[in-house]
Parts: sequence; C-alpha cells; structure tokens
Amino acid sequence: MHEKSKTEALWRFGGYGFLIAAALFMIVPIYWIVIASTLPQSAILSSSGALPQLLPGGHFVENFQALQSRQYVNFMSSVWNSIFIAIVYTVLALILCSMAGFAFAKYEFRFKKSIFAGILATLIIPVNLLVIPLFLVMSTANMTNTYAAVILPWAAYPVGIFFMRQSMQAIPDALLESARMDGASEFQLFYRVAIPSMRSSMAALAVILFLFQWNMFLWPLVVLDTDKFTIPVAITKIMGQQVVAFDQLMVASAVAILPMFVVFLALQKYFVRGILSGAVKE
Amino acid sequence: MSSESIVKLSDRLRFQRQRFKEVMPTIPGTAYIFLAPFFITFVLFLAFPIFYTVYLSFFTYQGVASDPLFWVQFGNVYLEIPKIASLEFVGLANYQRLLRDSVFHQSMFNTIYVFAIELPLMVGLALGLAVVLNAGFTRFKGVFRSLMLLPVSANTVAYSVVFVVIVAEGGLLDFIFQLFGIAPLNWLGNGFWSRNLMAFMVVWRWTGYNMIIILAGLQTISESLYEAAEIDGASRLQKFRYITIPQLKPVLLFVLVTTTIGSFKKFSEPTILIGAGAPVKETRTVVYYIYEVAFQNLQLGYGSALTVVLVGIVMSLSVIQLKWS
Repeated sequence: MHEKSKTEALWRFGGYGFLIAAALFMIVPIYWIVIASTLPQSAILSSSGALPQLLPGGHFVENFQALQSRQYVNFMSSVWNSIFIAIVYTVLALILCSMAGFAFAKYEFRFKKSIFAGILATLIIPVNLLVIPLFLVMSTANMTNTYAAVILPWAAYPVGIFFMRQSMQAIPDALLESARMDGASEFQLFYRVAIPSMRSSMAALAVILFLFQWNMFLWPLVVLDTDKFTIPVAITKIMGQQVVAFDQLMVASAVAILPMFVVFLALQKYFVRGILSGAVKE
Repeated sequence: MSSESIVKLSDRLRFQRQRFKEVMPTIPGTAYIFLAPFFITFVLFLAFPIFYTVYLSFFTYQGVASDPLFWVQFGNVYLEIPKIASLEFVGLANYQRLLRDSVFHQSMFNTIYVFAIELPLMVGLALGLAVVLNAGFTRFKGVFRSLMLLPVSANTVAYSVVFVVIVAEGGLLDFIFQLFGIAPLNWLGNGFWSRNLMAFMVVWRWTGYNMIIILAGLQTISESLYEAAEIDGASRLQKFRYITIPQLKPVLLFVLVTTTIGSFKKFSEPTILIGAGAPVKETRTVVYYIYEVAFQNLQLGYGSALTVVLVGIVMSLSVIQLKWS
C-alpha cells in the first residue's frame, strides 16, 4: 500500500511538472507580446547579452506613432479593413451556411445526397491553396483589390454547412409542422423557428469563421493593394520595407493578436465547441 | 363521363396529392431556394477553382485575354462572357519541369522535414497534456486549458513576427539560453536552425488545438473500463497502453490528418522568417514556392502544376490516414 501511494505521488509530481513546463512554453511568447510592444528597439534586442528589459516600458505610444507614420503602409487603415472584412465575411458565411444547413436537415429534394457528397469531398482538399484560378477569375471580373474579392470566395465554408446541418437536425419536425399549420411560410419557419433555437451553434460557428478570416493571409496578399491591406499583409509589407523596426512590428503584432485573446477568453465555450465540431465525424 | 367516375377521379387525385405531400411536405422548390446562395458561391469559388487548377496546369499563362470566350448580340444589347486568361497548351511540360526543378525538390524536402519534426512533438505533447488535464488529481484545469488554447487564436503572421523577435540576435531567447549556460544559436542566419524554428513555432501555435480534441476524446472513454482494469491490478501505464490508446484511435487519427494538412499548407511562417533574413533555400516551403512562381514570376501554369502536386500529396495522405481507421 505504501509503495502504491509513493508511485502515485511520483505520477502527480511528474504530471504537474509537465503541465507547468508546457504552460511556461505557452506563456513566454504571450508575455513578450505584451512587454516588447512597450519597449524601444534597443531594449527588445540587447547587445552583448545584457539582461533585456522584462518589465513594461513606456514606449508603446511612440512605437505606435512611428508605425503609423510609415510611408506606403497605413497601419490603422489595415486594422479597420481587417475588422470590416472579418465581420462582413462572418455574417455572410453564417447566413449561407445556416440556410443551406436548414435545407439539408429539414427538406427532401432531388440530388440531395450527391450535392452533399460533393461538398463533403472538398473537405479533404486544402481549398485555400487554390488561389491561382481565383486570382484569374477576380482579374477577369475586374474585382481585384475589392473587399468582395476577399469576402466571397470562402463564404461557402464547407465545415460550416456540416456544423449547421447537424445542429438543425435537432429541431423537431413536429415544431416546424405545427408552425406550418399556423400558416407560417417556409421562410418564416427558417428565421422565426429554426434560427432562434440555433443561437449557441451559430455563435460557435461565428467565432470560427471570424478567426478564419482574421488570420487569412495568402489570398489577401495576392488580391489586395495598399489601400485595402489587412493586418497580416500590412505586417509583411512593413517587414519587407525595413527589417530592423522590431519595436513597430511588435506593436502591429500585438494589435493583431491581443484583441483575439480577449475575444477568445470571453467566448471560450463557443470556441471549443467550434473546434470540436470539426472533429465530430458523421 | 359519369358523375361517379368524376368523384373517383377527384378522390384519386386528392389521394395522390396527399401522398405527394407526405413525401414532399412543402413546396418542392423551397429547399433549392435555401440552398442556392451557398451552392452558387460553392461552385464558383470552390468547385470551379479545383478543376480549373488542374486545367491550367497543362498550359502556359500568356497574360490577360483580349478576345471574349462567347458573345451574343440582340439588337442594341451586347452580352459577352470574357475569357479568363490567354493560354498556350503545353501538355505535360509543366510536370516534366517540376520533376527536374531542384528548387521545388528542396522546398518539398523542407516542408517534409518540418512536418516530421512537428508531428511527433505536437501530437505527443497534446496527448500528454490532455491525459494530465483529464487526471483526477489535477487542479486549476480550466486555467491550464485556457492557457494552452490561447495560441490557437493567434494571427499566424503576427505570432511569427513575435518568434522572430524572440530568437533574433540579442533577443529574449539568447538571454534565457545564457541563464542556462547554453551558447546562443543563430536561428535566423542558419538554414538548419531556421527550419527547426519553424517546427517549434508551429508546436506553440497548434498543440492546444490538438489537446482540446484529444481531451474531448478522453472524456468519452467509459470510466467502467478503467475500473475493471484496476480490479485486475493494471498499472497506470498499462491502462494507458491497453485502454486509452485503443479507445482514442479515431480521435488520434483525426488529429494526425488535420496536423498533416495544416503542416503542408505552411505559408505565413516561412514568409516572415525569410522576410527577417532566414536563408531562402532552407526555409522555403512548397506553398511559399508556389507563391513565388505564380505571383512574383507570373508563371501561373507552372504554379498550378505545383499546386496540383501539393494538393494531391495532402489528399492522398489524408485518405491513407482515414483508411487506417
């Protein structure tokens, strides 16, 4: 018995050790985002191995002003572009996915199975690598450097339709039937009966969609010009202009990362549900 | 026609209509109306590009097209469907070029190297963390879980910048290494280290994502299995080996597949590392090379051939992994 409690204590010790080591690995970069964005360049990188400053300095405003006064890239406008694009995309994709999910969950129609199988097939294709044909399509349609060019392509988000179909299947048919008896039109069924019962599912999907668009990089880099840059594109262009402005780059990165951390902590429940929805297989 | 037969006919029609209603409880078109916005976007921006990429890979891109593909004229109304691009058919030439292209081979090697480093780290760490977080003795589970998950929401370009700043000469990592008496490494100047750095960065960014999926999988394993094993005197390791791992198999496979797909799609990390001065040759991933070929050299046909190969590899890997389950 004594032997057993000893190994048990060892397991606990090892477990906590592992957990704390991993937590430190996770926390150091997060800590440095917060600290380094408030420091001047000379304190972020020290010459001759001196101790870098580990406490917040008072240089955030100066760094931000220097970032904002750059030629060619207007950082604040890229922040607004990112926010605008992500919000419009999220709303649009939510509408498309929930409408299509409703159709798949609650109606019978011809080609239902084959259409669904077609959407299913694209799940194993890394579709966001297919930027070459998209670029040609957008050029032909004269849509390069427009918000629509960034927002439209993945508005039909295949994971989203699965998620919404699965959630919508939980709506009892009897509920829809009784609403039909009361003379509700099919569209009223959708937004008066189905949508209100889907709030938490839609919140989960919304968090995933917003993050997907907020982090999108390759496509905006290809299709957008200076005035419509999103944050990641702006950061890359700043980096290309001048390699050494690490203090400014830290501010830009903090702006890209920290608001998402706040959103994440506030909506963690939905976020986790959204992640897990991808893992639930049919 | 007798009145009797008319009644019969109308009865039959009513009966058929009712049966039809049972099969199709609503206006048959409604479903299509709900589906249409999604479907049109899906076809235009997802399905069409899939096929068009394959098509393009047999051509050389000559620039924008000047003549329309199709036009009609009704009196004053003129409608045209423009050609998407002016192309020259080259058969398999793009694929032949790709077989001889040493830059492509090097970037494929880099991608696979990073994948081989990060996969065991990411899945192993995630599994270990999930097991510890699922254990009865662990306190502050919520805090640890949130902390591990935070990086998953980090913008991929921005977090790459943060890592560059940390590992740059005289940065935070040099200082930490110095504390432990380790000589600083030239992370950004040396191709070998910049490639490894990429793997470590990705471990930071994605471990929490895998962890949360595995954790959810662990919570579905029935407690009674463990209790039965305990009665038989199984040790912790035996329980892990003979209950946890087999029960988790589908979840672990899912994690493997998503990790594989994500790993082959790497673009933000090499862009930032190369931007910060890391050697292009050793840091370039396949997607980065595709970007260079297609959008810096404007060789869209060759870029498409490279995309087809990359997508093909990722697809077959996921199919193989899924077949195992």
